[in-house]
Amino acid sequence: MDRNESRELRAARRPASAVYEDGDKVMVSVEMPGVTKEGLEVRIEGNELSIRGTPAVEETGGSWLLRERRPGVFAKAFTLDDTIDRDKVEASLNEGVLELTLHVKEAAKPRRIEIG
Amino acid sequence: MDLMKWEGQRMPDLWNAFDSMRSDLDRALDFFTFPESAGIYDHARAPAVDVIERPEEYEVVADLPGVGRKDLEVSITGSILTIKGDKKAEIEGGKRRFFRRETWIGSFARTIDLPDRVDPASVKAELKDGVLRVRIGKREEAKQRIVSVEVR
Repeated sequence: MDRNESRELRAARRPASAVYEDGDKVMVSVEMPGVTKEGLEVRIEGNELSIRGTPAVEETGGSWLLRERRPGVFAKAFTLDDTIDRDKVEASLNEGVLELTLHVKEAAKPRRIEIG
Repeated sequence: MDLMKWEGQRMPDLWNAFDSMRSDLDRALDFFTFPESAGIYDHARAPAVDVIERPEEYEVVADLPGVGRKDLEVSITGSILTIKGDKKAEIEGGKRRFFRRETWIGSFARTIDLPDRVDPASVKAELKDGVLRVRIGKREEAKQRIVSVEVR
């Protein structure tokens, strides 16, 4: 990571997220208002799942009477457990919310052993 | 338009000053504490809002990720704009166990007192990618007009 990039990441907004278990899937939902598919990057490198969302540039063409929305890039990283299947990650983006579906590796699922 | 002394920039609004102080503090704490902390004075249950003034109109922009069109209600009474809605759970019912939850669900409301110059009859709202944009026109007499005066 070069210096410019790390500075940008430090200034980035940390989006609110939720991680939950749904049956044998693990769901990650990340709120990134204003981000479209084009501005989204989801990467898995080793044990790190990193998410980066760049909202479309807004032309203001006026002056702010109130400004609470923080501008800039969204960035967040999660550490993946060994039991998560890296090759089976699904992503969808709806209404500014990214939903990732992670699957548990078949080998890591509890197995019932029949007694013969 | 009243004739008044040109002050250069708009007078700093006290709340804005507090707001920027808060965000500076949040940023500082972000750096020292848990990297994913959302900020101690976060606007937890009211969406963050921008209000922009343009020569012809006002625009109110609100971050509403995960809120559907049918769960959102925007209304205007005189110069008071109300944004109301319900943020639904990520998944309905079923078996779920949260490992981490920074998001919130439930109802929210935000009222914004706009300047008197708004025209409540010309309001347009659009919800896209989790961002609501409401554009409210100015009354005819409040729009900026440029009239060139001939100098003899």
